[in-house]
Amino acid sequence: MIPARLRRSPWLLVAAQLGAERWRLLPAGAALLLGTALPLAGPQLVARFVDEAVARAPLEALLALGAAYLAVALAGQVAAVAAAYTAGGAAWRVTNRLRERVAAHAIGLDMAYHGRHTPGEMIERVDGDLLGLTQFISSFVVQGLSSLMLLAGTLVLVWRVDPRLGGALSVVVAAGAVTLAVAQRRVVPHAVVYREETAQMYGAVEERLAGAEEIRANGAGRHVVARFLEAARRVTRAETRWQVRGGAVLAGANLVFALGTAALLAAGILLRQAGAITVGTIVLLFQYAQMVRAPVEQIVGQAKQLHEAGASAARVAGMLGERPEIVWPRSPVPLPAGPVSLRFEDVTFAYAGDPPVLRRVRLELAAGRSLGIVGRTGSGKTTLARLALRLYDPTEGAVRLAGVDLRDVGRDDLTRRVRMVSQDVHLFAASLRDNVTLFDGEVPDEAVEGALASVGLRRWRDALPDGLDTPLGAGGTGLSAGEAQLVALARVFLADPALVVLDEASSRLDPATEEAVRAATERLLAGRTAIVIAHRLATLGGVDDVAVMEAGRVVEHGPRAELTDGRASRFAGLLAAGVP
Amino acid sequence: MRERPFGAWRAGAAIAAHRARRYLPSGLAWAAGHAMPLFTGLLLKAIFDRVSGDQPAYATGLGLLAVLVAVEAGRGGAIWVGIAVWPAWWQSIGAWIRSGLLESVLCDPGPPVTRLPSTPGEAVGRLRDDVEDLIRFVDIWVDIAGAAVFTAAALVVMARISVPLTAVALLPLAGVLIGTRALSRTIRRSHERMRERGSSVTGLIADLFAGVLALKTAGAEARALARLEAGNAARRHAAVRAQLAVNLMQSFSGASAQVTTGLLLLLAAGAMRQGGFSVGDLALFTSYAATLTNLPRWLGRTLGAHREAGVALGRLARFDADRRPEAVVARRRPVPTGPAPAPGERLRRLEVRGLTARHPGSGAGVFDVDLTVEAGALTVVTGVVGSGKTTLIRALLGLLPAESGSIRWNGAPVADPGAFLVPPRVAYAGQVARLFSATLAENVALGWPAGEADVLAALRAAQLAEDLAEMPAGLATVIGSRGSRLSGGQLQRAAVARALVRVPDLLVLDDVSSALDQATEERLWRALAASGLTCLVASHRPAALERAGRVVVLDRGRVVSDQSLPVASLQAATAVSPSAGSGSRASSTEREVGPANERA
Repeated sequence: MIPARLRRSPWLLVAAQLGAERWRLLPAGAALLLGTALPLAGPQLVARFVDEAVARAPLEALLALGAAYLAVALAGQVAAVAAAYTAGGAAWRVTNRLRERVAAHAIGLDMAYHGRHTPGEMIERVDGDLLGLTQFISSFVVQGLSSLMLLAGTLVLVWRVDPRLGGALSVVVAAGAVTLAVAQRRVVPHAVVYREETAQMYGAVEERLAGAEEIRANGAGRHVVARFLEAARRVTRAETRWQVRGGAVLAGANLVFALGTAALLAAGILLRQAGAITVGTIVLLFQYAQMVRAPVEQIVGQAKQLHEAGASAARVAGMLGERPEIVWPRSPVPLPAGPVSLRFEDVTFAYAGDPPVLRRVRLELAAGRSLGIVGRTGSGKTTLARLALRLYDPTEGAVRLAGVDLRDVGRDDLTRRVRMVSQDVHLFAASLRDNVTLFDGEVPDEAVEGALASVGLRRWRDALPDGLDTPLGAGGTGLSAGEAQLVALARVFLADPALVVLDEASSRLDPATEEAVRAATERLLAGRTAIVIAHRLATLGGVDDVAVMEAGRVVEHGPRAELTDGRASRFAGLLAAGVP
Repeated sequence: MRERPFGAWRAGAAIAAHRARRYLPSGLAWAAGHAMPLFTGLLLKAIFDRVSGDQPAYATGLGLLAVLVAVEAGRGGAIWVGIAVWPAWWQSIGAWIRSGLLESVLCDPGPPVTRLPSTPGEAVGRLRDDVEDLIRFVDIWVDIAGAAVFTAAALVVMARISVPLTAVALLPLAGVLIGTRALSRTIRRSHERMRERGSSVTGLIADLFAGVLALKTAGAEARALARLEAGNAARRHAAVRAQLAVNLMQSFSGASAQVTTGLLLLLAAGAMRQGGFSVGDLALFTSYAATLTNLPRWLGRTLGAHREAGVALGRLARFDADRRPEAVVARRRPVPTGPAPAPGERLRRLEVRGLTARHPGSGAGVFDVDLTVEAGALTVVTGVVGSGKTTLIRALLGLLPAESGSIRWNGAPVADPGAFLVPPRVAYAGQVARLFSATLAENVALGWPAGEADVLAALRAAQLAEDLAEMPAGLATVIGSRGSRLSGGQLQRAAVARALVRVPDLLVLDDVSSALDQATEERLWRALAASGLTCLVASHRPAALERAGRVVVLDRGRVVSDQSLPVASLQAATAVSPSAGSGSRASSTEREVGPANERA
């Protein structure tokens, strides 16, 4: 888990991750030190060269100074490359770990969050933003840190020439830094807007590409392109607003440091006029003034990146700040072994800000019994199922499993004992095995084969070229919706849960397959508690109880046989009306 | 004559020409910023000569410092202008290329499935990063131009001071170029690998979040995340290697400036002792030495960027139906948003003969299928799971490539079904309802010139009116990501409404009532049958079969039965007592309709 303190500031999070890399960072630091010290020695050699040349010193002495300069310069370059290499590796390690944490955090958020955010947006958040951070960290560690060290070294050396000059240069550096810091605060919000617009644009593109066939066949391609262009124009406006300000910061910093160089040179000229320093020292001052400028230009050049990274970090922090409403208990109450009962106690539920979807639902399901829920689309059946899985918590009332409030059940316990087949089956771009086991490598192949056989997919599986290793999902073998549904059923067979939630599980199957699944479902439900959310009465053939829902309320509930026979019952009415 | 292949250079030229009026002014500002250090060097020479000679002129030196500040202010201003106007060019070029590629996938002839990468997430990664690589290549030309202007002028100034020392200053630049060239192949390969691994990570993330419900309910989040770790590690290796190659290249130019200075110190030592080379000259040479490396450095970057742009162009070309790289930067018409196209000749009969199509990736498909749809009738294609219903529908609509077969509309051959079988002739709702993060009205109209009344009528016909009444924002209800705020049945009916609002001659529906409750499903099919619309439907639902004028049964991709039936006889065949449940009724339909109508 990510501690709360770190969640608020992504920079602290980054720092903590960097701390974990400290042993790898040691050689980077050593290379960095060398890469800083050597360039500082260069101007000293040039200054002495100028003074001795003006003084007409022996040629050998001048040549020795030149050769020394060359050697120092080349060694400095080697050290710089080594520092960049080691720091780059560390930056990737850090942001990769951060990416995994962010992904883990995001995946732990409620389904309500995932309903609001497209997978395309999640790519931007989990990958795009962190890529920005990676670039920033690797360049910050190398260029930023070495720039800082270079600055400090330069100031010390100028200070040794004349403390007044050192003081003047320090003021220049401080003025530049303050200018930058103040300006940055004004620029970052615009960078945030830009990144958000970009994320939205690509989120929309991802959705549209997923629906490319429907768009084409309904002649909506040009409209979608037009909408994309509108979004692109918004991105352009946002980036312009940001860059105009960012560019001003860059130009302003340039001016500050040009003034600084001029001031230092002017002081040097005046000291020379007074006979206090040599021409070589003016050359030295100029070179150091340049050396102050180069790293700061680096930093200002990176200011763009810093703004972007700041924006990325802010949005990563925003996402890490999203708390799931589902909170798992610290000391969970274990579920008893064997079949479990399920009870909805006056459950009312509303999605944030919306009118209630469920109103005071009261349902009792004894252990091992199955309950079919019928009702019009939108009557709240799917929501009821999601509450049983604790994808949401009731707004009022409680859902109890084996008498235990779901809010007191441990997460592992719950996911082991309660499983669902959802309306829309997503197949992962992974092997058939992984799609059935959901990436559990420890499940033996025989168990996977058994689960596939249980749903009547044995013949289908035998026809696959690579057996369990056949890739499914995007880019893999195409599966019909019915086959996908069967694979989803196999997942549940494999998990062997105590409570099964079938949400329209067999809805897309053709009659022959449906018959096989009906039999398999019967096997699955035997001895298990089950909720079957069905929009067709056919799926209800094997259930013990039936509940009829209307507009978020349970309007009828009882043993199936009684309701079927009772002439006045709504279920009997549905049976009569629903069947032509 | 052999045509030169369309590579990164020609693509770059097309990009530069497309928005030349934006490219040139902002490019000019950038180039000016690059060339300004020319004056800085001249001023430095003047200043150092004033303060170092036998008769120093300190006051003049101080005055020249003021000019130096002014030059730097000018340089900052030029760069500011360059930065501020750049997005207008950069982003509009990006939008132009990306919209062109989108248009190619969504509008141009040829099935989209063969052009899109395996996941939409990966496709987005390409649209984002590869297009950026392509534009960055052209972006660099501006820097090259500025550096070239500086280099030419600087060489003239330096040669007038000392020709031999100017030649010495040029030597290390050759080293930069040679080193750059040697490294460029490594850089290209390592970048390619980094990109590929990056794409697979984005694909992985999209996959993860698209299947988040399954992972959460199974408690499999951690295991699925382990896949991300593996992808991350592979990408790190590639990225660090690519970065090393780039760093090495950069250090060539850094070393070059210092080597120049060192050589100058060695070779100018004699001249300086004799006074033939002044301190000011040394200041000018060393000042220029640093800036002179810009040209070979930018040239080196251009080579790297050229490689990257070439890779990007190749990958982007796959979005085009014919995989032509020139299509990536082809000029396109502005997107028209006018009135609906004229309906043309009304449908009397649609004939499919000998259609064979395979699903890419698996050998499964449909083989030699004949199918006739008569105007005004409900034609149902049915069969077990995997029998090819969806493949047939998609191949018919040109969404899958057909290997052979012909399609005739009122007897006239349809050359390109993907372009011809669209509204107002045909509208389609697929097996998985594809809805987008937008309002319900936008999702239904989706660009069709339909008024609010038309949208409402379509929603009513799709049996979504009651649901709509319960939505607080009505038509303006924003459907969440992939329509996840609606139930599965609502999504399906919204997708049907999208097809209905187009008032097509032929409505093609693929298993659209699977998530509906029975009463709603009944009402939907009743409404469709009553509307008099010609419908081609893939379904095994009794509610659809009962109303079929013609039932085509597929088995393992082949038609095993094709018979038009009077509606009444079908109803008789499916009438079973209510309590028997519809599962057995459905299979009895299959049994009684199927074998009785064998064609062979």
